[in-house]
Amino acid sequence: MRGLRFRLHLIILVAFSSIVYFSFKALELRKDATQAQHNAVASLELRSLALTVASSYASTPPTPLAPTLLERLGNWRRAINSAPRRTALVDLIQSLSMNDAAWIRKRALLLAEQEQKTYSEFASEAQHAWQEVEKHAACALLAAVIGFLVLNWTVSLRILRPLDRLSRRMMDFLVDRYSFQFSQPQANELGDLQRTFNSLAQRVINSMDELKTLDQAKSEFLNIASHELRTPLTSIKGSLSLLDSGVMGHIDPNCSRLIKIAEVETDRLIRLINDLLDLAKIEAGKLPLACSWMSWDDLVSKTIEGMTGLAHGAGVNVKVVPAPALEVFMDRDRIQQVLTNLVSNAIKFSPPGSWVTVDVERNKHGQLLVHVRDQGQGISPTDMAMIFQKFRQGSNPDNPLVKGTGLGLAIAKAMVAEHGGDIGVESELGEGSAFWFTMPKWRDDESSSDDSPTDPSPDPSTDPSKDPGPGASPKPASKPRAA
Amino acid sequence: MHVLLAEDDTNISVVTQLCLEKIGGHSVVLCVDGESALETALRQPFDLILLDGMMPKLSGLQVALQLQSNGVVGTPIIFLSAKTDDKDISDFLRIGNGYIAKPFDPMTICARIDAILASPGGT
Repeated sequence: MRGLRFRLHLIILVAFSSIVYFSFKALELRKDATQAQHNAVASLELRSLALTVASSYASTPPTPLAPTLLERLGNWRRAINSAPRRTALVDLIQSLSMNDAAWIRKRALLLAEQEQKTYSEFASEAQHAWQEVEKHAACALLAAVIGFLVLNWTVSLRILRPLDRLSRRMMDFLVDRYSFQFSQPQANELGDLQRTFNSLAQRVINSMDELKTLDQAKSEFLNIASHELRTPLTSIKGSLSLLDSGVMGHIDPNCSRLIKIAEVETDRLIRLINDLLDLAKIEAGKLPLACSWMSWDDLVSKTIEGMTGLAHGAGVNVKVVPAPALEVFMDRDRIQQVLTNLVSNAIKFSPPGSWVTVDVERNKHGQLLVHVRDQGQGISPTDMAMIFQKFRQGSNPDNPLVKGTGLGLAIAKAMVAEHGGDIGVESELGEGSAFWFTMPKWRDDESSSDDSPTDPSPDPSTDPSKDPGPGASPKPASKPRAA
Repeated sequence: MHVLLAEDDTNISVVTQLCLEKIGGHSVVLCVDGESALETALRQPFDLILLDGMMPKLSGLQVALQLQSNGVVGTPIIFLSAKTDDKDISDFLRIGNGYIAKPFDPMTICARIDAILASPGGT
C-alpha cells in the first residue's frame, strides 16, 4: 500500500474505531448509572419503611404494624448485600420480636439513617456515572468531527486540488499551451497519473514534431519535384511550339500532326503537375485565400474570354445569362480557377453546335448559386458519386478533347469549400449536366450604374479571333489553350 | 530590344533565345550562370534583363539585388522560374518587374513580356 490509499485507510480506521470505542463505553457507563440510580431509589424506599416503623413505635401504645410491612422487610433482608445495611436491617427485624418500643424505634431510626447514607452514596455514584457517559459521548462526537475534518482536508488538499491542477494542464495541452513537466510529481497515486500524463504529452509532442518534419520534407519534395519536372518540360514545350508555329521553316504535314500530338500531351502533363501541386498545397492548408469584394460580372466575362479558343475549337457556344451587378467576397484567382474548370469541362463534354450556359441566382439559403449547364450526354449516377474525388473521371466518351488530369473537380471542390461554399452536380444521361457551386458572401454592387445589367460577355465564342489574353499570371499553363 | 538572358539550362536557353529572336525580333545576349550575367549587365546597358530563378554561383534573385545595389535600377528585370513556392513568387514580384512561370508558352512569351513592361507596377 502506498501514499494516498494508506493515508485514507488510516484516517478512516482511526476515526471509525475511536467512534465505536467511545460509543460502546458510553453505553456501558449508562447501564451503571441507571443501576446506581435504581439503587438510590430503592434505599429511599427502605428508609421510608424504617421511618414508618419508627413513627409507629413513637406513640404509646404503638400502632400495630401492617403484616405486609413485615413481609417487605423480610424481602429486603434477602436483597441487600452490603454488610452495614444488612446488620442494621437484621437488628431492626430482631428487635421487633422483642416488644421494646423504645429499642425498636432506635433500631428503625438507625436503619433510616443508614439508608439515608446509602442513598447519598448511590446518588453520587449515579451522578458520577452520568458524567462519564457524557464525557464518552462527547469523545465519540469529537472523534467523528475530527475524522471528518481530516478526511475532508486530505481529500481536498491531496486529491481534489492536484486533480484540478492536472485537469487544467490537460486543458492547456488541448489548446496547445503545454507547460509540461510537473516540477516534482508527488510520490503517490496522483503522482503516477501526473507522470503518465507527462509521458503521454511528451509522446504526442514528439509525434507532432515528427509529423511537422515529415510535412516539411513532403513540401520540399513537392517543390523540388515540380521544379525538376517543369525544367525539361519547358524545353520540350518550347521546342514543339516553335516547330509547330512554322517560325523555324516549313514542316511536312505528317510530321506536323505528330508534333501536335506531342504538344497536346505535353500540355496535359504540365496541367497535371500544376493540379497536383495545387492539390498538395490545399491539402497542406498552404493555400491561403486572399479574399476581397470583387465584381462577379468581371470575373465571369474574363473567365469566358480566356476560354474562347477552347470553345471555338470544340465548336461549342458559351452563353452567360445576364444578371444584376453583384460583388462577391472571394479570392478572385481561385474562383476563376473553379469557373474555368467547370466551363472547360462543360465545353469538352459538349457536342459541336450545342450551348454551355453560365447563370447565377440566389438560392433558398440566401447564397449565390452559380450554374454551369451543358447539353452533353450527361453523367450516370455512379459516375456522379465519384467525379469530385481525386483521379476519378467519368466514363471516357469518344471525345479526344476529353483528356483531363482527373484532379480538376477535386481542386474546385476544395477551393469552394475554402470559401465556405458547396459544390455539386445534377445530371441525367442524355439530358446534359448542370454543375453548381455556392458562394455564401455576396452583395449587390451599388457602385455600378443602372444600365450595367447587360450581358457582360455577349457570346464570346462568336469571336474566335481572340486568343487567351497575354499576361503575367503565375500559372499560365493552367489556362486552357486553343486546341 | 537588347535583351540579357541568364539561363543555365542549355535546352531552355536555346528555345527561349529562339523565341525572343524569331518571334519578338529582339537581340539576345546569353549568360549561363548568375555571375557572368551580373558582370555582363554591369558592363553594357540592356533594355531588359531576363533571369532564371535558380542558377549556379548566383541565383536570379541575388543577381537582381546586386544589380540594384550597383546602381542598375532603370533596366526592367523579369524572372523566369519553375519555382512555385509562394514565398519565391512574392520575392520575384517584389524585387523584379514581373515573373513568368515555366513552362511558358513560347508563342506568347513576347506578348507577356510586353504586357509586363507596359503595366506600371510589374506583374
